[in-house]
Amino acid sequence: MIKAEHVSKTFGRFEAVKDVQVHVNKGSIYGLLGSNGAGKTTLLKIISGIVKADKGTAQVEGQSIFERPDVKKRILFIPDQPYFFHQTSLLQMASFYEAVYDRWDSERFHQLYEHFSLDPKAKLSRMSKGMQRQASFILTLAAMPDVLVLDEPFDGLDPVVRQQVKNLLIQDVSNRAMTVLVSSHNLREMEDFCDAVGVMHKGRILYERDLEELKTDVSKLQVAFKKMPDDTFLSGMDVMHMEKRGRVLTCIVRGQEGDIDRHVRSYEPAIYDVLPLTLEEIFTYEMGSVGYEIRNLIV
Amino acid sequence: MFTIDSRSRVPIYEQLMKKLQELIIRDVMKEDEQLPSVRALAQQLTINPNTIQKAYRELEREGYIYSIPGKGSFVSPVKNKIDKERMEMLRKELERIVGEILYLGVPKDEVIKLIETMEEPERGESGND
Repeated sequence: MIKAEHVSKTFGRFEAVKDVQVHVNKGSIYGLLGSNGAGKTTLLKIISGIVKADKGTAQVEGQSIFERPDVKKRILFIPDQPYFFHQTSLLQMASFYEAVYDRWDSERFHQLYEHFSLDPKAKLSRMSKGMQRQASFILTLAAMPDVLVLDEPFDGLDPVVRQQVKNLLIQDVSNRAMTVLVSSHNLREMEDFCDAVGVMHKGRILYERDLEELKTDVSKLQVAFKKMPDDTFLSGMDVMHMEKRGRVLTCIVRGQEGDIDRHVRSYEPAIYDVLPLTLEEIFTYEMGSVGYEIRNLIV
Repeated sequence: MFTIDSRSRVPIYEQLMKKLQELIIRDVMKEDEQLPSVRALAQQLTINPNTIQKAYRELEREGYIYSIPGKGSFVSPVKNKIDKERMEMLRKELERIVGEILYLGVPKDEVIKLIETMEEPERGESGND
């Protein structure tokens, strides 16, 4: 659905995006994660056809996006800072959207602003950040996009609205197979929402994976032995991280759970527990093994 | 029908699978009963539909449910396979618990006595939960 190949972008001397590849399937919610300044916003702008890549191509359903109004009609982008025309109200913005996006659904628009109880005649510039963000969601969802690109979308929304917005997005994903590409540095939030993730750091994509695969691929073991086993115990597994407190070993291990299980049990541990990892932990260890400073990634 | 603990470490699709397995094993969901559609569940729980799809796929692979294209997913009538897996799991659990009890110094015949005082449930019919 969305395919970016070897995309690079330089601003002055600063390389914001370096040879990036991104693949998002139709009907998927793809989380683009990374630290601030990793190049997420630039990449999203390239994918939505706002910024032109220096090198490489960004395509939606096999069609290039840049300067293609017909393709862009089906792609909507919500930037990290809501933008509206000067001195406009929600209704005025709606008439603009209606003129640009031919799939605009007025009924949906009314339903949405009533649901969020926003005054459609009030000036948007006088609204709070969170209300402005709600306004952008209302406008965007009423334009019935096939592809939705969101830059830090839940920023400034209270938990109730956040959940409501997520629910609306999920409805569109399950009912119309809308594709969502969402950036965030909040891993906790992405964990429930996305099905695939790409991790960006310093302009590069470190990896992109199916989220559940990523989670079942790495596990945390707690093992204790009456008698410490020899080195083959650790060398027989793909250990990413190991901590030893007394006789208890805590290991972060990559690999299939069944294989690990068999391996560990063959050494007859006195205590043996497997804990699933949170997304935050996976990143901490995965990035650690690539040699990146982790404290910078998790906000 | 069920709730998902978003703060749990267990992946959401696994939580979903466990909940559904429990409902099927305990006969709350009967044979050939239709499962909620992916869409409905996604909307109800605010969960990514692809995650639900994945849980359903896994359950189908494990023989708990079957799907009819265009109609939805249903509870499988064949329970033998399920029971075997569940038995294996429970036996391991039992071994672990008994091991711990023995380690704590409870004499073996006391454990056996405890088991003997337990009555076997009547087989068949609608279970006993």
